[in-house]
Amino acid sequence: MPSIPLHLPSPSTAPCSLENPLPHLFHTPSGLALLELQGTIHFPAPTSTSQLSTQVGKLVFPLYNPDINDPSDTKWMKRVYLYVGKGQRMTGECKKLGKPIGVMRKRKKLEIVEVVRYKIVFSARPEPISGVAELE
Amino acid sequence: MATQQDEGGVPFAVAHEQQLFRLLELPPDIVELIEAPSPPLLSLKSHAPSAAAATPDAKPAYAVLCTPTKSFQLRQVQTSNSLFVTQPTLDAHGNEIPVAAICAIALCTVTLELHPSTASAATLLREVLPVYDVVAGDVDATSNGKTKASIFHDIPVSDGECQARWNELMAFEVDGGSYQPSPNALSQVWRSINAASLAEAIKLSTQFMTADITRAATEEGHPPSLIEAVLAHLSMDDADSSGPWSCLDRAKTVAFTGRILLEAKRGPDFLIADFTDTWEDRLPEAWRKDAQLSAIEGVYEFPSDTTIRTKTKTATSTGDNVAASMKPSARKWHEKFGKTRKK
Repeated sequence: MPSIPLHLPSPSTAPCSLENPLPHLFHTPSGLALLELQGTIHFPAPTSTSQLSTQVGKLVFPLYNPDINDPSDTKWMKRVYLYVGKGQRMTGECKKLGKPIGVMRKRKKLEIVEVVRYKIVFSARPEPISGVAELE
Repeated sequence: MATQQDEGGVPFAVAHEQQLFRLLELPPDIVELIEAPSPPLLSLKSHAPSAAAATPDAKPAYAVLCTPTKSFQLRQVQTSNSLFVTQPTLDAHGNEIPVAAICAIALCTVTLELHPSTASAATLLREVLPVYDVVAGDVDATSNGKTKASIFHDIPVSDGECQARWNELMAFEVDGGSYQPSPNALSQVWRSINAASLAEAIKLSTQFMTADITRAATEEGHPPSLIEAVLAHLSMDDADSSGPWSCLDRAKTVAFTGRILLEAKRGPDFLIADFTDTWEDRLPEAWRKDAQLSAIEGVYEFPSDTTIRTKTKTATSTGDNVAASMKPSARKWHEKFGKTRKK
């Protein structure tokens, strides 16, 4: 029976150097975060191979305003929107996980790369919205 | 009017090339370990389906996460939702100035839950370790050709728990194989230890050089590793068994000699009086008066008014047989009956 060492996040690993646009609560050293939604996201096949990703929407935290809100104020967590495509919006919230989640990866070795304590959840179906053209 | 998405919206993208991550729900004890200043080594042990997969006894494949002293069984939980692992990225769609964005780099449909393992290292060790017996002065044992390390390797329980149960069984390695001693072998080893202490004038209740007793007791043909295992098992709890010194725990030793004597008994049951007499004789002089039935409460029964024997099915003293009362024990019963028949 093979016994495989499970490596833990190393404090010496260089933290993610990119700016993390999520609210501070979601920041982890590696920058990894969790986002859950009902169903699947479909998007057109990428047109060029040079493009590594497809933007499918925008996340908005309407009540999050770190400049005004006290850091202990968590009311903003109750609401988050994901605008998808041109006319749909999903409403969700930010949740503290009952049990933290270890994000595990196997490359050369098996490791827990990060321990994540919060996630963004969209449990409702997308709803159509009007006036999106204006928002674009 | 400028809207919030324009100002504060975070572009959300999905990477075309998804990575493979596994999400592992972490119980508080594990989180604590991970966050400790010097976290211990964790490992995943996986148990392949047994070779005889067709037999009804075959064990299913499973994996456990082991800390040095605890084991957690992994359970896969499917989610119907899409759970993305995201990371910050720079988004430069079109030829605009890149903006900070979030990119989903992995889609996980399965979460792994950790549940405290119900596997019993004691049961598993008893199953895999061949019995080492001594019959009429001859060793009766079939080597499994396996070292302790390779045995532990195959048991889906942390090495710390394996070692603790190994010590309780007084299991030992000799000539490339590992064994569990029979009550009869233990009884004989104990007699050799006691004789050695008399011959060498070594008091077992005070600190003595383990090697002095081992050397003398080995002369009767017992493997030194078995003698050491017995001495370690009977030592005071706070004693460092890795050092050169030993000091036996009086209560433990008295109970051990009584229990082993009963368990090793073959043929007709002991007369109660004979039993206590023999028990006293097996003890160092200073401990003789401790040979009272109260010292081995729970391990004996009286089949008649005058006789005593070991309890037919003792709730073993190993302490972790909660799990043994579950499914595997049903099978164990058959093995037990099988073994008694062979004797």
